Amino acid sequence: MAVGLKIPDNEAYTAQTALERLGIPLARVERSAIYVFQAPAPADELAARVTRNESVFNPNKHRLRVLDANAPRSGEVWIEEAGARWADADRYVGWRLFGEGDRPVDRATLEAAAERLLCNPAIERAHFPKNEEER
Amino acid sequence: MGRRIAVLVFPGTNSEAETLALLRDCGGEAELVHWSRAQSLPAFDAYVLPGGFAYEDRIRAGAIPAHDPMMDYVIEGAQRGKLVLGICNGAQILLEAGLVPGTGDARRPTAAFTHNASRKFVCTHVHMKLAIAPSRSPITAALAEGALLPAWAAHGQGRLAASQVHLREIERGAHLAFVYARADGSVDPAATPNGSALGCAGLLNREGNVLAIMPHPERDAWNFNHPDLREGRNMLAPSGGAPLFASFVAGVQRS
Repeated sequence: MAVGLKIPDNEAYTAQTALERLGIPLARVERSAIYVFQAPAPADELAARVTRNESVFNPNKHRLRVLDANAPRSGEVWIEEAGARWADADRYVGWRLFGEGDRPVDRATLEAAAERLLCNPAIERAHFPKNEEER
Repeated sequence: MGRRIAVLVFPGTNSEAETLALLRDCGGEAELVHWSRAQSLPAFDAYVLPGGFAYEDRIRAGAIPAHDPMMDYVIEGAQRGKLVLGICNGAQILLEAGLVPGTGDARRPTAAFTHNASRKFVCTHVHMKLAIAPSRSPITAALAEGALLPAWAAHGQGRLAASQVHLREIERGAHLAFVYARADGSVDPAATPNGSALGCAGLLNREGNVLAIMPHPERDAWNFNHPDLREGRNMLAPSGGAPLFASFVAGVQRS
């Protein structure tokens, strides 16, 4: 499950501005909270668990997306912080970066963004799309 | 003119008033410098980064301010030997900027003050004990060996975390400047309010001119700040947190 904002995301805009200052020009940035549940269950049941919890989902400002796969999409990096869990779900922060023509950025740009700002390797781990061509 | 200390104010900094007041009480020639006046920073001789929530802790605590133009000047000044003190959020910024423990390149952090082990905000009175020889740093040079300072811990992200390799570097390189201790000076894990690795309350860089501390001694500098008003009815009597600031100011004046 991915929970993103449907209102303007100031934090994503800040990340975009900071990355541009670091020499990584972007068209826009999307941010979402990613929950990967360990126990298998129907998607609608997991969605209900998320949307019922007011601390992680507010229908006035959030939208829920069911993940196609438990891995980042093209142009997206998931940042994992040790110990960050919610219930029985692994929790990540997903950052999806869009460049020229509003296309998801390539792997090299994504890795540079993670290395220079989005991920502190002392406490976090970056997960990239498993196979860029297939996704 | 004496040596001048800049107290940096980022959007979201909230401890600049007490930090400035204590620096001045200790004889420092200090003034606030807001982010819009970053270009004035090279004219200062030392920098203090106060506590708060700079840039709302967006991405991670300290991550965005570490890339603010003000930090270009702080990093350059630190590399030239200027004294730098970061408190709480200021400490988080110094770690994100790679200045402390300084075992990697600038803006390539090798450690972090991150979420407390409890994952909850902690607001409690603590004691921080000097864990290095005072002469290891000009910032601590005027403190006594094993000095014990009262302070307030007020943070959600104050736990030192790093890889085992980097934690060993911190220990072996005498970067561990302050540890949490009990009021009698004894050190044990129960005195650490946040699960910080090595019981760390403060980290120093290799050269000894940049110090990052999580607790706030400037919030226990006067009797009215101290939990038991141990100086009686004299509200403005020193309550114990000032010596680190006095030592910092003395170090700046010697520099």
